[in-house]
Amino acid sequence: MKNTKRRTVLASAAALCATALALSGCTSASSTGSDDSSASLKTLTVMAPYLTTQAPAATNPVGTALDKVIGTKLKVTWVPNSSYGDKTNITLAGSDIPDVMVIQGKDSGFVNNAEAGAFWDLTDYLKDYPNLKTNEPDVQQASSINGKVYGIFRARDVMRTAVMVRKDWLKKLGLSMPKTTADLLKVAKAFTDDDPDGDGKKDTYGIAIPKWPGGFATNSPYDAIETWYGAGNDWITKGGKLEPSFTSPNWIKALDFEKQLVSGGYVNPDFATLDSVDWNQPFLTGKAGIIIDTYSRARQINGLLEKQDPDTYQNMVGVTGNLVGPSGKMHALPTAGYSGFLAIPKASVKTEAQLKSVLSVLNKMNSKKAQIIMNNGLEGKNFTVKDGKAVAVTSTTATDLTNIVASYAQLGTNVTGNKFYPPAQPNDYDQQQYDAEVKTMNSDAKHAVYNPAAAFVSQTYAQEGATLDNIITDARLKYIAGQSSLSDVKAAIQLWKSSGGDQVISETNDLYKKSTK
Amino acid sequence: MSVQKFDTVTQSLLVRETGGRGRAPRGKRKWLATFNRYKWFYLMLLPGVAYFVIFRYAPMGGAVIAFKNYVPFLGIFGSPWVGWAQFSHLFGSPDFVRLLSNTLILAALNLFICFPLTIVVALLLNELRLTVLKRSVQTLIYIPHFLAWTIVAALTYLLFAQGSGVLFNFFNGVFGTHVDFLTSPGWFRPLIVLQSIWKTTGWGTIIYLAALAGVDPNQYEAAVIDGAGRWSRMWHVTLPAIRGTIVVMLILSMGSILNTGFEQIYLMTNSLNRSVADVFDTYVYFAGISQGSYSYATAVGLFKAIVGVVLIGGANWISKRLGQDGIF
Repeated sequence: MKNTKRRTVLASAAALCATALALSGCTSASSTGSDDSSASLKTLTVMAPYLTTQAPAATNPVGTALDKVIGTKLKVTWVPNSSYGDKTNITLAGSDIPDVMVIQGKDSGFVNNAEAGAFWDLTDYLKDYPNLKTNEPDVQQASSINGKVYGIFRARDVMRTAVMVRKDWLKKLGLSMPKTTADLLKVAKAFTDDDPDGDGKKDTYGIAIPKWPGGFATNSPYDAIETWYGAGNDWITKGGKLEPSFTSPNWIKALDFEKQLVSGGYVNPDFATLDSVDWNQPFLTGKAGIIIDTYSRARQINGLLEKQDPDTYQNMVGVTGNLVGPSGKMHALPTAGYSGFLAIPKASVKTEAQLKSVLSVLNKMNSKKAQIIMNNGLEGKNFTVKDGKAVAVTSTTATDLTNIVASYAQLGTNVTGNKFYPPAQPNDYDQQQYDAEVKTMNSDAKHAVYNPAAAFVSQTYAQEGATLDNIITDARLKYIAGQSSLSDVKAAIQLWKSSGGDQVISETNDLYKKSTK
Repeated sequence: MSVQKFDTVTQSLLVRETGGRGRAPRGKRKWLATFNRYKWFYLMLLPGVAYFVIFRYAPMGGAVIAFKNYVPFLGIFGSPWVGWAQFSHLFGSPDFVRLLSNTLILAALNLFICFPLTIVVALLLNELRLTVLKRSVQTLIYIPHFLAWTIVAALTYLLFAQGSGVLFNFFNGVFGTHVDFLTSPGWFRPLIVLQSIWKTTGWGTIIYLAALAGVDPNQYEAAVIDGAGRWSRMWHVTLPAIRGTIVVMLILSMGSILNTGFEQIYLMTNSLNRSVADVFDTYVYFAGISQGSYSYATAVGLFKAIVGVVLIGGANWISKRLGQDGIF
C-alpha cells in the first residue's frame, strides 16, 4: 500500500516538473530579442522577405561585409516572400517587433497601425540624410499614406511590363513580333491552331497565364491588357473626379478581348488554377509561346533555356514591351516605381534620438559602397568590374554568394538612384538583348499611365480593400472563362459599390481634392 | 485493463484513508477534510487544469477585441470600444448569407454523407470473416489519414487538371462532356466531399470497430438460433449495441461541424469557384491575417463558435429526449 502511494506522489511530481519545464521554455522563448533595441545601435534588427529558395545564414560573408561598411551589426529575420504579408500582420500584433520592417504594401494592417501612430512619420526627417533624400519625390509621394511618408521606399524600374514570345515559332509561321493587341490575338491564335512546333498535333496554345495571387491592379497580365486598352491604371480621372478603372467602357472592351483569347483556346485551359510558381513551365516545355509579365521574367526564362540548350536558346525568346491598344495609341502599364518600403516601428525605436540613429544607419546602407555589396556582391569573389559593369564570376561559391546578395537586395532602397554597377551580360547576344530591352523600357516609360490615386488610402479601402478587390477580380475571371455574362459583371460592379465601394470612391475623391488644393 | 487497475488502486487508497478517520466531518471542515483526503489527486489534476487555464481559457480573453477596433499598436486595452459594430457589419455584409449557407451546406454534406458512411464502412469491415483481408483493408483505408491536406489537394489537381488530368480525361471522354472540375462551382462541393471521404472515412472507423468488438457474441448466437439472417442481426443486434457510440460521436462532431476544414477548402478555392467555396474559416483567415482586420475576423470567429455551442447543446438535448445518454 505504502509503495503505491509513493508511486503516485512521484508520478505527480514528475508531471509537475514537466509542466514547469514546458512553461519556463515558453516564457524564455518569447522574451528573447525583445530587448536588444537600438540604444547603442551596435545592432539593428530588420525583418525582410527572401525570394530565393533558401534564406541566408545568420552569419554570411555578404552580411559581414555590409556590417563593416555601415558600422552596425544587422540582424535580419528572413521571411519567405510567399507568406510575407501574413507574417507582417502577425508580427505587428505580436510583442517581438524589429527595429526596421520591410513593408510590402499599404494593406489595411499597415495603414491602421500607421494611422494609429505605430510607425514613425518620416516626412520631415528624410531630407536631413543625403542618401535618403530621394531624387524621385513623385514616387515617394505615391508610397506615402495621404502625403505622410511612413517608410523609405524601395525604388524599382518604372517600366517593367514585357511580352515574351517564342521567336522560332514566329519564324516558322512567318509572323513577326506583336506590336499591337490585335497582333497578340493573331499570334496567339496561330500558336494554337497552326502547329508551331511542327509535330502534327494540336498540342500548343498561345498565352500562358497563372492563377494570379494578387488583387485588382497588381500588374497581372489582365491588368496589362486592360491598361493597353486605355482602361487606365487602377483609377482614372473623369471630369475632375477619380473613378475606379473598371467603371470605364474600355475596361469592358478589354474584358471582351481577354474573353476572346480564352474562349478561342489561345490561353492555357488551367489559367484559373495554374500555380504562379509553375508559370514558366508551359513556356519552357514548348506548350505555350507567349507570356505577358516583366523583363526580369524574360531574363529568367532566357537563362533557364540557356541551361537546357546553350546552342539554340538564342533563337527562342523574343521580348517586346507594352502593346498598342485598339485606339492606335500606346498606353503603357508602369509599376508604382517602388516595391514597398522600410518602415520604423515606434514599439522598438522609442525615442527621436533612437530614430535618428536608425536613420543614419539606413543612410549608410544606401551609400555607394553598401549598394554595391547589396546588389553586386563582393568584388573579386562573385563579380569583377570591367568597363564600369559587373561581370559575374562563374563558380559554385560565387553562385552561392550571388544568391545571398539577391536576398540582401531586398533591404536596398536606392532612393537616390542606382549607384551599383549595372550587370554585364555574359555574351554578345545577351548584351544586345539587354540593351534593346532598356531602350524599349525607356520609350515605353514616356507613355506610362500612372495611377492617379496612388498616394490616397481611403479608410474603407484599408479596412475592406482585399474583399472588395475579390468581387471585381472574381467577376472578371468568371466573365473571361465564359461562366457569366456581361450583366453579371455589371452586377458585380454594383455589388462592389454597395459593399463599400461607394465610400471608397467618395473618400478617395476627398483626399484627391485636398491634395490638389 | 489499465483503467481497472487504476480503479482498484484508488479504492484501496480510499478504503485506507476513510477507514482511519471514523465519522464524516461537516461544513467547512468537511470540505477541508475532503481536500486533505484527496490532496494527491488534486495535485495530479493540477498540470491538466494549468494546461486548460493557460492555453485554452486565458486566450479566450482576447476575444474581447471583437467588441473593439483593435489596432495592435494601441494594444488590447488601448484600442477603442465599438460595441456591436463588428457584428452588425458582419450581419449587414452581403458576404454573410453566402458564408453562412456555404458553411452550413458543407457541414450538412459532411453530416449526412461522411458521418453515416464511416459507420457503414465499419459495419462492412465487421462482417468480413477473413481476418487477413479485414486487417489489410483496414490498414489500407487508414493511410490517407496520414497525408496532409496539401498532398490531397495536389493529388486532386493532378487527377482533375484540365487537359492532362487522368480523371478529367476519363470522365469527359466517357460522357463526352467538357466539365472543368477544378473551377466549376457546381463540382466544388462534390470534390470536397469526395476528398473528405477518401481521407477521413478509414480513420473514423476505428472507434466503431472498437465498439463492435465489444458486442457480446452470445447475442449473435441467440439471434441465429432465433432464425435471424445477416440483415436482421445487423439491425437488431449490432446497431443497437453501438448506438451509444454513434450518439456520442454525433454530438462531438456537431461541435466541430462548422470547422469545415480551413486547409482543404483554402487549397481548393480559386476565383471561379469562390462563390461556393467561401466559408467562415477561410473568411476569418482572409479578413484577419491577410487583410489585418483583426477585430472583424474575431467577431466572425466568435459568431461561428457560438453557433457551434448551440449545435452541441441542441444535439445533446435531442439525444437525451430520445432516451440516450448525452455528453453532459
